[in-house]
Amino acid sequence: MKVFSNSVTFNYSWEEVSIANWQKYSPWNEKCTHVIAVDTLSRTVDPATGILRTERLITCKQSAPEWLKSIFGGVDESQVFETSYIDPHSKTVTMVAQNLTWSNLINVQETVIYRPLNDHQTQFEQAAKITALCGGWQRIKSNIEDALVKRFHENALKGREGFEAVLAMSRKVFAEEREREKMALIQAQAVNIRMVA
Amino acid sequence: MSQSLAKECNEAKERYDTCFLKWYSEKYLRGIGSLENNECSELFKQYSKCLQGPLKERGIDKMLVEAREDNKENDALYLGRKK
Repeated sequence: MKVFSNSVTFNYSWEEVSIANWQKYSPWNEKCTHVIAVDTLSRTVDPATGILRTERLITCKQSAPEWLKSIFGGVDESQVFETSYIDPHSKTVTMVAQNLTWSNLINVQETVIYRPLNDHQTQFEQAAKITALCGGWQRIKSNIEDALVKRFHENALKGREGFEAVLAMSRKVFAEEREREKMALIQAQAVNIRMVA
Repeated sequence: MSQSLAKECNEAKERYDTCFLKWYSEKYLRGIGSLENNECSELFKQYSKCLQGPLKERGIDKMLVEAREDNKENDALYLGRKK
């Protein structure tokens, strides 16, 4: 088994980050083109804790080294099952993901946590456990795990860059929307004043 | 927003995602509004219904059964529930 971990500070509030998180794989993110689809499977709020629990299916398409591809039957599309828990009281976003495809060959489990560092910054912690299950051959198992850790690391870098772009765009769009609403309100008030005068 | 794995569900997904994002940022994070029977519930029903066929066709529905079973530990951990 190999472990991969990563931590990043984003210069955005926890609220902004948790909103932008839902749009991480939108067209605003040009880095994570390996994620080709995101589908929401379920969404509930736990009545006892107020925690928002969401299940999503993430579809990835990524080229792999030839030797790895042949072990996986030449298919380069895979699915990941992600469950997220958002606790607005403790301001925590926790996301756990596991691979659905090839689960008889490899097991990748990832945990991501977003927590506020302060009012304007959010800390991102990521940890992944990667295990190749092809019983027996140690060296093959180790090579597969190494290749997956490397790929995980590359994707993490792309993910961070891409998410920064989404955060910046999200802040811009929200600000523009607030400005539009303000202008509409001012215009409405001006009309009212004119009508009353 | 990102695409759906089933092209035919893209429109339903986009409508639902847009509604959810608004609800999430304007209500949920401010501690108001409920998920039950809210403005997005009907949109979610339509989107989910659209996905059912494609998930079954690709055998994903079967894989989800096992994945959800595996995930019960996480539910216990993060929702503070007993298994």
